[in-house]
Amino acid sequence: MNAVRIAWRITRLNFRAQLEYRSEFLLMIGIGAIWQVSVIVFATVLLTRFTGMGGWDSSEVLLIPATRMLAHGIFVLFLGRMHGIGQIIQEGMIDTYLVRPMPVFRQVQLSVFPTNAIGDLTVAIGLMVGALSRSDLDWTAGRITYLVVCVLGGMFLEAALFTAVACASLRFPAADYWGRWLEELLGTFGSYPLNVLPRAVSGFLTFGLPLAFVAYFPAAVLTGHGHDTGVPYWLAAASPLLGLVAFLGARLLWRWSLGHYTGVNG
Amino acid sequence: MAVLHAWRAARVTPLGELYAPPRMTAALIRLTVQVILVASLWNGLYQQTGTTAGIDREQAVTYAVMAVLASRLRELDQYAGRDTVLQHMHFGTIVYWYLRPLAPQRYYALRALGEQLYGFAWALAGFVLSLAAGVVQPPGSAAVAGVFALSLLLGQLVLYYVMLVIDQFCFWTLRNGAAMLILIFAQNLLSGVYAPLWFFPDWFITLSSFLPFQATLSVPLSLYVGRIPLSDAAFQLSVQAGWVLVLALFTRFLWRRAALRIVSQGG
Repeated sequence: MNAVRIAWRITRLNFRAQLEYRSEFLLMIGIGAIWQVSVIVFATVLLTRFTGMGGWDSSEVLLIPATRMLAHGIFVLFLGRMHGIGQIIQEGMIDTYLVRPMPVFRQVQLSVFPTNAIGDLTVAIGLMVGALSRSDLDWTAGRITYLVVCVLGGMFLEAALFTAVACASLRFPAADYWGRWLEELLGTFGSYPLNVLPRAVSGFLTFGLPLAFVAYFPAAVLTGHGHDTGVPYWLAAASPLLGLVAFLGARLLWRWSLGHYTGVNG
Repeated sequence: MAVLHAWRAARVTPLGELYAPPRMTAALIRLTVQVILVASLWNGLYQQTGTTAGIDREQAVTYAVMAVLASRLRELDQYAGRDTVLQHMHFGTIVYWYLRPLAPQRYYALRALGEQLYGFAWALAGFVLSLAAGVVQPPGSAAVAGVFALSLLLGQLVLYYVMLVIDQFCFWTLRNGAAMLILIFAQNLLSGVYAPLWFFPDWFITLSSFLPFQATLSVPLSLYVGRIPLSDAAFQLSVQAGWVLVLALFTRFLWRRAALRIVSQGG
């Protein structure tokens, strides 16, 4: 309980610090929103020009970016500081974190308030409302619960991927580069039915870089396309669980990597 | 002697890359995977569609793959070397740019030249391999190839000046990370990196025609794939040249104004 109270106090201070530069604060909200809008623009252009993408109608396809973006927005708000940790390592701040009486992972998350998450979440919620209102599905309590669980699972999976990159950054700070690419890949290929891609490529985006589990599989299960995804139905349906397991695994990897971290002073 | 100094400044960022193996490996893997993914995506999208927005499957795939390759031209990570204008303004080290026996605008231009030449080597290698693998189509004729090369050169000049303007804004704003991200995003969206501009609504195409961004990538690639016919090339090239001139004058003005804002050793 004490830890929650401290985290809350630090977050409030960080938020006030962000308010110091008002125009920067507003622009940060703007960049979050604009980044998400770019995904919507790209998706809209594709949906308009290429109808019936992968056998999905446009209202069904819309559920994929809506789920992914909402998961991403929550990830940015709670666990997003793993992305860009290279700077913290490069500037030697991680060495300071190591001697403070708080877990390093938590300190990294509390290092700055993610103002852009406000923009991210605003657009994501708007898109989700739009996707649900256009959907012909019967939104029963079970379906809504599954959607909520999937959004949380997507958040954990994204956090797991970025935590794994952060672990690499502890050894090679330049590995942060991979994080930027990962974010770009999630935005570009995480928002569409992957069955439009050749089997080898969609297999890579499922088992190599598991971004299919963030939104594509959950949306497929919800819209009745769960048997056409190229993986067993149970595996597609278990996407949220996989996200949680991946995050727990990534935390273990983080703990191990931090134990082997060597700062500039040895 | 001047050439030697220029060479030393220009090779700084490429050398920084060579000393960071993970970044080099990442660049290679990223470029390869991105080309395969993008080609697969556009091939997949065109499976049930013929020509749309005046672009057929081969044109779309060629455009998308070449856009990925072109994005390598200015993608070096100066941030890791702590040599961006944003970082120098943050740490106060920008003053050293003004204390060296090399004008800051010249240093900046040389660094950018080195980056772009290094990036060009990557892009060219990727292009040759993609061409050999049949992923991209060769240019329609020698004239198309020539016009494309000229347009690409002008586009890179426009891109250099656009990125320079973004960096120069740092002299006036203490915290502008978000503004820079927005401008870089606008550059990517309005230059057709995310998707060819031809797929966008008419109002979007009209809007982008009044901005310099489409001159950086969309025009050269549209000329290459034949979406802009050779008969319109002269006009498009003159628009690009016009942007180069306007932006050159504007950035020259900004360099002068920026110099007035630098205070050394407390004034």
